[in-house]
Amino acid sequence: MRRANLISGVALFLSGAVMLLFVLPAQIEEGPAGMMSPRLVPQLMIGLIMGLSVLLVATNLRDTRDADTAPPFTRAELKAFAAIMGLFALTLLLFFLAGVLSAVVVLIVGALLILGERRPLILLLMPLCLVGGAYLLFYRVLGTAIL
Amino acid sequence: MHALLNGFADVLTLYTLAWIGVGVTLGYVLGVLPGLGKATGVAVAIPLTFYLQPVAAIALLIGIAKGSAAGSAVSAILLNTPGEPSSAPTALDGYPMARQGKAQKALKMGLFASVIGDFLSTLLLICLAAPMARYALLIGPVELCAILVFSMTFIGGLSGKSLIKGLIAGAFGVFFATVGLETETFIPRMTFGLLELDDGLPLVPIAIGMLAVAEMIVQAGNMRQLDRETEEIIDGTRPEDRVVLWSDWKRCFAPILRGTLIGSAVGILPGLGASVGSFLSYGATRRASDRPEEFGTGRIEGVAAAESADNAVVPASFVPLFALGIPGSVIAAILIAAFVLHGLTPGPRMFQEQPDLVAAVYAAMLCASVVLLLIGYTGQRIFAQVARVPVRLIIPVVLFLCCVGAWMETGSVFSIYIMLAFTVLGFLAKKLDFSFVTFLIGFVIGPSVELSFRQSLQILDHDWTRMTEHPIALVFIALTVAVLVVLARGRTGGGAVGAVRDTGTTITKGRTS
Repeated sequence: MRRANLISGVALFLSGAVMLLFVLPAQIEEGPAGMMSPRLVPQLMIGLIMGLSVLLVATNLRDTRDADTAPPFTRAELKAFAAIMGLFALTLLLFFLAGVLSAVVVLIVGALLILGERRPLILLLMPLCLVGGAYLLFYRVLGTAIL
Repeated sequence: MHALLNGFADVLTLYTLAWIGVGVTLGYVLGVLPGLGKATGVAVAIPLTFYLQPVAAIALLIGIAKGSAAGSAVSAILLNTPGEPSSAPTALDGYPMARQGKAQKALKMGLFASVIGDFLSTLLLICLAAPMARYALLIGPVELCAILVFSMTFIGGLSGKSLIKGLIAGAFGVFFATVGLETETFIPRMTFGLLELDDGLPLVPIAIGMLAVAEMIVQAGNMRQLDRETEEIIDGTRPEDRVVLWSDWKRCFAPILRGTLIGSAVGILPGLGASVGSFLSYGATRRASDRPEEFGTGRIEGVAAAESADNAVVPASFVPLFALGIPGSVIAAILIAAFVLHGLTPGPRMFQEQPDLVAAVYAAMLCASVVLLLIGYTGQRIFAQVARVPVRLIIPVVLFLCCVGAWMETGSVFSIYIMLAFTVLGFLAKKLDFSFVTFLIGFVIGPSVELSFRQSLQILDHDWTRMTEHPIALVFIALTVAVLVVLARGRTGGGAVGAVRDTGTTITKGRTS
C-alpha cells in the first residue's frame, strides 16, 4: 500500500495543480466587484487536497514499516473492471442505436456471460423476469411511466 | 406525545405498513448478500420512492436500512462472511455456532438482539433529537461553520484507516458539491457548458456508482472465492439447537442492553460507524464475562452483544442529523436526499416546520422495528437461502437496478454517465483506501459548509480576531485541532492498519476468525 500511497499522492498533487492553474480559472468566472469570489471554496478545497497529498507522500516516504507490498488491485479485479465498464459502454451504444429494450437485455445477458453463466434457461429467464418485474412495478403497481 | 400518536395514525395504515414490509424484506435480502449494505440499498431505492406518499416513501427507506442492518448477520453466521463490516464481530461466535449445528439459534438470537437494540435506540432518538435541536437553533453561521469543519475532520479521521486520506476524501466531497450555479452570483462553476450540471451533481447516481456498481466490480473480481465459501453452509438437526432457550436469554440480557447503550453512544458521535459500535460491544461483553477465553468458540452472548450494538447505531446516527442537520453516517447522508425530496429538510427547524412529518418518521421507525421482528422471524429460513445464491446471478440484477435507479433521478441518460464516472472514482477509492463515506458526507454537507463559511467571513468582516466573540466556534476549532493532533499521533502515513472501521460496504469477504 505504501507504493500505491506514494503514486496516488503524486497523482493527486499534479491533478490538483492542473485544476488550480487551468481548469478553475477557465471554468469559474470571477464574481462581481464587492462580492465574494465563486472560486473561493473550490480553490480552498483543491489547495487543501494538494497540501494533504504532499503530507501523504511525505509520511509514506518516511514510514517504511508498512510491510504490505501486495498491489491494491488484483488482476481479476482489473479484468472485471474493464469487462463491466466495457459492457456499460456497449449498453449505452445500443441504447442510442437500437432502443432501451435491447440495451437492457444486452446489459443483463452480457453481465451473466462475463461472470461465467452459460445455462440457456438462466440467460433467457433473467432478462425476462427483470424487465417484466420493472414493468409490473412501475407501470402497474406505481402507475407511472419511467421511459 | 400527542404528535407521536398522530404519527402512528399516519403510519398504521395498510398502505404505509405494506411499504415498511417491502422495505424491511428488501433490506434483509440486501443485508444477507455480502457487500450490498444498507447504504447501497437506500441509494438504489430512493428513485423508486418518487411516486410514493412522503410517509410511505421515508418508511420504505427506513425499513431498508433497518432490515439490512439485521440481515447482515445472516451471512456472518452462515458463511463467516459479514454482509457489512459492522457484522464482523457477529461472525466471531456466530460462525462457530453454525459449525456446531446451532445456526438457527444464532440467527434467532441475532435477530432478537438486533430488534431490541434498534427499538431502544429509536426511543433514545425520539427523546434526544428535539431537545438538542432547540439548542441548535441558537447557533449562528460562525458556530455552524466551526461545527461542520469539526464534524468533517472527525469523520475523515475515523471512517477510514488513514487520517490524511480521509481528509482528502472529505475535501473532494466538498469540492464536487460546488459544481453548478453558485447561489449568490448564479455564476456556473465547473459545468463545462453542460446545462444538466447547472443544478449541481445529483447525489443518487453518485451514491449508486460509488457504493453499488463499484462494489459489484470488486465482487466480480473475487467471485470464485465468494462462491466457494457459499457452498460450505451446514445446518443442525437437534431441536434445542434451533431455538433460543430461557437460559440463553438469561445469558444475553445484559450483553444486549450493554450493546444497545454502546451502539447508541457511538451512533450519536459522527463518523465512528457501526463497526466501532459492534466491536466495542463485543469486547466489553468479553471482558465482562467470567470465561472470556471461550469467546470465539461459539458463545451466544458474542452474537447478542455485536448485533444489538450494530443495530442501535442506525437510529442513533439520526440524532446529529435531526438535531443539527449533520449526517453522522453514510446512510444518514444518503437519506438526506430522500427526506428533502419528500418535504422534510433535516435540521433543527424541522421540528417547528414539519412536526407532523417528524412524528410520522418516528412512528415509522418504531413500526419498522416490529415489522423487522415479524418478517425476520418468519422469513429466516428463506433469507438463509438467499445467502446461497451464487454471486454471478446477483451482480447482473444489481447492475440492472443501479441503471434503473440512476435513470429515474433525472429521467435522462446523463445520470447514467454520472453513475459510471463515480463508479470509476468509487473503485479507485475502495482499492486505494480513500474513505468514500467521508466523500459522500463531504458532498452532502458541502453546500452548508460553503454558505456558512461565506456568511462567517461577512459576519467577522474578514477580521479573525473577532472570533473571540464566538466562544462556541472557538471551542469547536480547538476540538478540531485536538482531533487532528490525537489522530495524527495515533496513525501516520496512509497505509497504517488500525482497528476495523466502517468504511461502508465490505470489499472482500475476508475471514474474520
